[in-house]
Amino acid sequence: MHLHLIRIVALHEIRTVFRSKMPFILYSILLAMLLLAGFVGWNYVSKFNAQQARYTTEVQDNWMNQPERHPHRVAHYGYLVFREKAPLSFFDFGLDSYVGNSVFLEAHRQNTVNMSEAGFSNGMLRFGELSMALVLQLLVPLFIIFLGFATVAGLKQNGVLKILLCQKASYFDILAGKTAGLVAVTWLLFLPLILAALIGGAVLLQNEINAELLLRSGLILFVYAVYFLIITMIVTGVSAMSKNASNALIMLVLGWMVCFIVIPKSAQTLGSSLYKAPDKIAFEQAIEAEVRKEGDSHNPDDPHFAALRANTLKKYGVDSVHKLPVNYGAMVMQEGERITSGIFGTQFNKLIETYQAQNAVSVILGFFDPYLPLRNISMQLCGVDFDTFSEFQKQTEQYRFDKTTLINKIHLTQISYENDRAQKVAQSNWQQMPPFEFRPVPLAATIYNAKWSLIALLFWLVAGAAALGFISSQRKFQL
Amino acid sequence: MLEANNLTKKYGDYTALNNLNLTIGKGEIFALLGQNGAGKTTTINLFLGFVEPTSGVASIDGLNVATHAEETKTRLAYIPETVMLYPNLTGLENLEYFSSLAGFSYEAGQLAGFLDTAGLQSSAHGNRLGGYSKGMRQKVGIAIAIAKKAKVLLLDEPTSGLDPKASNEFSEILKTLSASGTAILMATHDIFRAREVATRIGIMKEGNLQSVTEAGAISANELEQLYLKTV
Repeated sequence: MHLHLIRIVALHEIRTVFRSKMPFILYSILLAMLLLAGFVGWNYVSKFNAQQARYTTEVQDNWMNQPERHPHRVAHYGYLVFREKAPLSFFDFGLDSYVGNSVFLEAHRQNTVNMSEAGFSNGMLRFGELSMALVLQLLVPLFIIFLGFATVAGLKQNGVLKILLCQKASYFDILAGKTAGLVAVTWLLFLPLILAALIGGAVLLQNEINAELLLRSGLILFVYAVYFLIITMIVTGVSAMSKNASNALIMLVLGWMVCFIVIPKSAQTLGSSLYKAPDKIAFEQAIEAEVRKEGDSHNPDDPHFAALRANTLKKYGVDSVHKLPVNYGAMVMQEGERITSGIFGTQFNKLIETYQAQNAVSVILGFFDPYLPLRNISMQLCGVDFDTFSEFQKQTEQYRFDKTTLINKIHLTQISYENDRAQKVAQSNWQQMPPFEFRPVPLAATIYNAKWSLIALLFWLVAGAAALGFISSQRKFQL
Repeated sequence: MLEANNLTKKYGDYTALNNLNLTIGKGEIFALLGQNGAGKTTTINLFLGFVEPTSGVASIDGLNVATHAEETKTRLAYIPETVMLYPNLTGLENLEYFSSLAGFSYEAGQLAGFLDTAGLQSSAHGNRLGGYSKGMRQKVGIAIAIAKKAKVLLLDEPTSGLDPKASNEFSEILKTLSASGTAILMATHDIFRAREVATRIGIMKEGNLQSVTEAGAISANELEQLYLKTV
């Protein structure tokens, strides 16, 4: 390997690309699409978040301004929680369009965030929405294909490759140089745009820039750079293996269809058929069945609640719930809350495991298709992935449980058992409760969750380089 | 300079080149005549290292091509039937690129000098190759060989499709190169041109070198008769 010769080939490739009109025309089209997608995405997220913020304020105001009332009425008054879109979600829509953004929190009920759409939670069937990520993931590879399909095959066809190979540069030098030149063009045309869009868009959305945002943007830039390099290596490799440019183009376009349409869609179908997820009704029925098994708080003969009553009376040394220093009704409600919340948690975790198993299919297939790992990592870094969604669901349930527990505690201590329903408590009791604030998945956890996709991308990088090495060592690919 | 010892290439049961023994010395022009499929291009590809011999050795300057690919490449230049190069680049830019890949770094004036030596008129140096005639492109190919200081020149049907004037100019350039010590192996169908430019002529048939004749010892008519009788 001669680095200076690789550099010469690469610079020549760059010069050749910039001298032809076709790449410029293709780039103009892609640039227009990227700018449009970026603006539309940013505008949508901006308006969406502004709307969410308005609703959040309205909900919080309504909550705070409830008049003096019975705590149980407060518990059932409910509270709507909204999920603000992540600052980088304008770049990659991910699963945002397929998962809910709001959930109604109330006592005794674990309302799901649009779980009816869970069947589509992988988002693999999605193809229609134009986001910057979609253009970069699907159309830039096509751009690289059109840029490079003839890079070696064309030279082979017109005999130039033979003359090139008679110089000092080896076939590997030529393939590496061509790959470097093509990817340099792609990086030059797209990476500054990605970085500017990520930083600019996110800053405009949240009026600030922080270290995590910069790190996420840097990582997104890096993985897209690696992805473009992988695609370029594939294009150069296929071109080098083809007898002529038209064969190379046919092979590459076929490969594009397989990698960008067939495998992603098959991954979704395979995942959901291997690991069946319940729909919303089945999910809720499973919870209800579990709750029934645990005990019915409204049934005086229910063994679980009978035991609770006996234990409580024994603890306080009284023979009637009327003589308890605390409100027994609130105690029963809290116990019911604990049971349903526990059951929901178990069922929800099972559901999450099913979806994770479905997603694992696409992660495994990422070793056969470089688009899948890049897509997964991009979604994860932009905070529009399944982990973010399930984290939102978990946090809202925890918030709901804590809030209900607090209200039950007020009920327990400030409302006497006798004439329970006629009593009220002051506003200050619930006004102290903090509003819900979603804590996104931290970057370190995101990277950990993306580990297999990152490994798959690394695998493709190494495999691409090894493939170029192998192709260059074969005489049959030189003629 | 160029040597084939029992050089054989087989593709399955088909023998493309059978037991070739040949030596081409410094300053010699050896023309290989023969019909399509006679083994001329296979011979050139074996010396270029693009094809691995089934048996025997192809060597350049005493170095086995199969085992010293990089070293032998620095000693040879190759001109195919049609020199395409890069149509979007000028003659000068093409020459600069190929020279740099051969490990040489020349000033613009030196590059222009090589093109002049190869017979390309100065006014064409800065024009894109896409507008060149076949003869002009062949001259750029020759300039690449000159710039590379190649000791060996391998030519595959170099005059095919050239008009008589361009073909004659090409022959003169080859003679100049051989006079400066370059060993030249040329595969051709052009009996007249072969006799005019070569020092020795070999006639191939079905992978075998049937005869080798001193070009100066035979007339064009005799060569034609020998060729027709052989193939």
